[in-house]
Amino acid sequence: MSQSIISVENVTKSVISNDNQLSILKGISFNIMEGESIAIMGTSGAGKSTLMGLLAGLDQPTSGSITLLDSTISSMDDEQRAKIRSESIGFVFQNFLLIPSLTALQNVTLPMLLRGNEDQKNNELKAKALLEKVGLSGRETHLPTQLSGGEQQRVALARAFVTQPKILFADEPTGNLDQQTAQNIIELLFAMNTEQGTTLVLITHDAELAKRCQRTLIINDGQCQESV
Amino acid sequence: MKANKMIISWSWREIWSGQLWPVMVALTLIIACVVALSTLALRVEKVMTNQGKTLLAADLVLRSTNPISPSLINQAEEAGLTVSTQSRFQTMAFSDTKMQLVTVKSVESTYPLRGVLNLRDETEQIKHQVNPNELWVSARLLSILEAKVGETVAIGDAELTISGVIIDEPELAYNPFNSIPNLFIHSSNLEGTGAIQLGSRVRHRLFINGEPTTLAAFQSNYELQAGERWVDQNSESRAARLMDKAKQYLSLTILMVILMAAVTLILTCLHYVRNRSETVSMLKSMGSSRAWLRSWLTTQVLIMFVVAFVVGSSLGLLLEYLLRIPLVDILPKVLPSVGIQPFLFAIGVSLCIGLPALLIPLMRLLDAPAINVIQKQTVQYSKKSWWLLLLPITALVVFYGSNKLVWMVLAGLLILFIVLAGLSYGLLTLLAKLKWSAALSLALSRISRSPKNSMMQLAALSGSLMLVSLIWLVKSDLLGDWQQTLSPDAPNVFSINISPEQRASYLQDIDSLTLPRSDAFAIIRGRVTEINDIQTTDMAVYESAETRILRREVNFTWMDQLPEYNEVVAGQWSGEKTVSVEQNIADELGLKLGDKLTFEVNSQSFSATINSFRAVEWQSLKPNFVFIFSEDAIADLPATWMVSFRAEENQTDRVTQLARSYPTVTLLDLRTMANKIQSLLRQISWSLTGLATLGVMAGILLIFTLLRLSLNERKREITLYRTLGASKKRISHTLWAEYGLLGLSAGIVAAIAAEMILFALMRWGFELPAQLHPAMWFLLPLLAVLIVFASLSSVIKALLKPLR
Repeated sequence: MSQSIISVENVTKSVISNDNQLSILKGISFNIMEGESIAIMGTSGAGKSTLMGLLAGLDQPTSGSITLLDSTISSMDDEQRAKIRSESIGFVFQNFLLIPSLTALQNVTLPMLLRGNEDQKNNELKAKALLEKVGLSGRETHLPTQLSGGEQQRVALARAFVTQPKILFADEPTGNLDQQTAQNIIELLFAMNTEQGTTLVLITHDAELAKRCQRTLIINDGQCQESV
Repeated sequence: MKANKMIISWSWREIWSGQLWPVMVALTLIIACVVALSTLALRVEKVMTNQGKTLLAADLVLRSTNPISPSLINQAEEAGLTVSTQSRFQTMAFSDTKMQLVTVKSVESTYPLRGVLNLRDETEQIKHQVNPNELWVSARLLSILEAKVGETVAIGDAELTISGVIIDEPELAYNPFNSIPNLFIHSSNLEGTGAIQLGSRVRHRLFINGEPTTLAAFQSNYELQAGERWVDQNSESRAARLMDKAKQYLSLTILMVILMAAVTLILTCLHYVRNRSETVSMLKSMGSSRAWLRSWLTTQVLIMFVVAFVVGSSLGLLLEYLLRIPLVDILPKVLPSVGIQPFLFAIGVSLCIGLPALLIPLMRLLDAPAINVIQKQTVQYSKKSWWLLLLPITALVVFYGSNKLVWMVLAGLLILFIVLAGLSYGLLTLLAKLKWSAALSLALSRISRSPKNSMMQLAALSGSLMLVSLIWLVKSDLLGDWQQTLSPDAPNVFSINISPEQRASYLQDIDSLTLPRSDAFAIIRGRVTEINDIQTTDMAVYESAETRILRREVNFTWMDQLPEYNEVVAGQWSGEKTVSVEQNIADELGLKLGDKLTFEVNSQSFSATINSFRAVEWQSLKPNFVFIFSEDAIADLPATWMVSFRAEENQTDRVTQLARSYPTVTLLDLRTMANKIQSLLRQISWSLTGLATLGVMAGILLIFTLLRLSLNERKREITLYRTLGASKKRISHTLWAEYGLLGLSAGIVAAIAAEMILFALMRWGFELPAQLHPAMWFLLPLLAVLIVFASLSSVIKALLKPLR
């Protein structure tokens, strides 16, 4: 029996908007097991992104606790959470978020640099291997503006996997891509995920895509329920 | 190691691709301007100081009524200073046929220590020093004495042969009442003249040259005896005042350029931060620590500073060189070196401005939350780095604390921004109510949609415009004032000691020689002895270093009407036994209208009541008096008369004719001195014009950068308009209208503000009469619109590029 890698207990999140308190998440609890792939679905504004932000330690819950890899991140400060992210978490974003002034290769080596891994030669070797895997060999020195959307997302995939993260968060990774390209990216994402045994948390609107995950959580009116 | 290299190369690319380059350009500009301006300013200041020293004939002069003691000379020489002594006195000079009262300057061969002494001998050779048994006379004296070079002239008891004529000499006094024809003899011949006797009025000077610090130490160690005083270039009032104003102007120009660059720096930096907060959020989401981000940003800042410094200083030196090209005839061949001071100054300035301008927004970048990568949130920025603002404020207080001008400019800027906010708000609401063409109303709605932004832009634009016009107009006003001093028809010859009997015929003769002249003025020399029946010697002001009027004899005059070039500032010219007093002296003595003053002339006492105060332009070279009495107060006192007239270079024979006809009248020919001062003025005005041009160029460049930045920020919006189907024509019309309006209103507001600040600057800063500048009212808005259009046309093509 595999262990729980993320555990969420009675988490709430509310924000102040126009002097009114707005509850986005109203007491959510669930567990995610190591190596699992899980899709989070919900209508726009349901709180999917808020939940992902909390799970990844980008933000703090109003109440409740979140434990990630045996650390209670909900009681950690910014810097401690950043350290956990750099060591164990990878991201793929809807709008790729590559650094425009860095080449494809440099964008991929960046997480290793942030981790304190300063052997740049080794970093580049790893990054090259991953770029080859996502089908971008020969494009290492291209800047993001010289790449198409699909290519940029491939670079983002390589960047996400280069540190062999324990958990990968993907926020609508195909939201900005055409269908064919989206399909390729998803294939790649799942292939690499399986290969590295990464836990995958995927936010999506796409029910077909959600079906490829082992579990699906649906957020609705600040509550979450497991879809069966 | 290699990772650091990557951070450096990344930072480098971040600078160029990430909108940080305008920051670097602004920083480079600051450094270039500071290096160029301060190098030039330093050089000009040194040249000017040297010129002041030329007028003094040394770095420092000790004036004494007693002979300079040999022990003092020894002390000075032991301290490593160069010295030379001079004794001067007035005596009669006799040729075979004529005689004349002359000022004898007995000097050593080392004279002068500064400045040029040109003496032309019989063989037309130019000599530069006075040797034993030589006698050098001014050309005018030669003609008065009707003597020739080689003939013998008696100076007191000594008989000396005229060696030649004085062409140029330092130490031209600017007091027309003390100047009598000069001659030079060597100090070894002094005793032979028999002039040095008990009770004879001989004045002595010790000229001293040396390192400023040694000089200062020597000066402060020496205790002045009675009848002694120090004179350095600061105390030589006229040249000193001129130089003071030039220096004030230099620091003002530098400050303005720095201000303009600082504004650009801050705006470009804020622009960068807006564009980069997403990257920082992303880096944070990937787990970068604040420490890492800090070192990443620090690397960028460091690179920018280093590059800006290297490029800026080289550019600054080049600029200074270019600036010197038109000055090549005026500046000395060998320029004083300036050392590393300008570079240190540039580093200091760029750090003082650059650190807060860069670090405050960049540190705010660190606060960009990681969550922003998936969800935009409002950010609470920490205000911790605001302490950095203390840096420029402290520097300002330390360096400019006592400089009135600078604070005036800063206050003016502050007022400008407030006035501007009000004006632009009013203007916008007013304009929006009217009906306009489509392009104009779109432009107006764009401006009023983000009033804060538009107002900031307007403020920055009109602020720079105002600074540009200030730099230029202050220069013009200053020069105008100086040139007025020596207007082409200013009198340049003064006749004094005209006896009452000679007066009418003398004036008639001047008129028949068609030399334009002033009225004749009675001259009565006397002292102020009591103010409201209190002895002046008992008053504190008597000892005051600045107010010397109570301790010396003054020229009095009486008139029926005050001269029209004297403006009465208080009271009126009427009443019996009354006196009109020059306003500055009145202020210094604390006089009020109606106060009773008691005077003494030839041991004879009399009183008069103050009826008015007058503003007097002392530099105008017109006959001017501190005290002008009503006729009944002093007309019966024995007086001589004076008159001033204008003689051109080629009218020397007429002046000589006058001198011959009235041998007892002393003629003060200021033509040589006027030329000297004119050339000094010309040099200074060239330097100032050069500096002003540079300042204006820097300002225009910055406005250009500002506008381009603002236009680039609009890229996304314009793309959206294009996507929504707006035609290129519509967009470009709107842009032209919007920026045209912006430029026009900024120009108008800048003109108003500049006029106000100029008024304050002239009135209270330079203490000169303020005036209006109607031409600026048209030129400034025009300039603004031109710059705006130039900036716009340089980017509009790129802005309207077809969509991808």
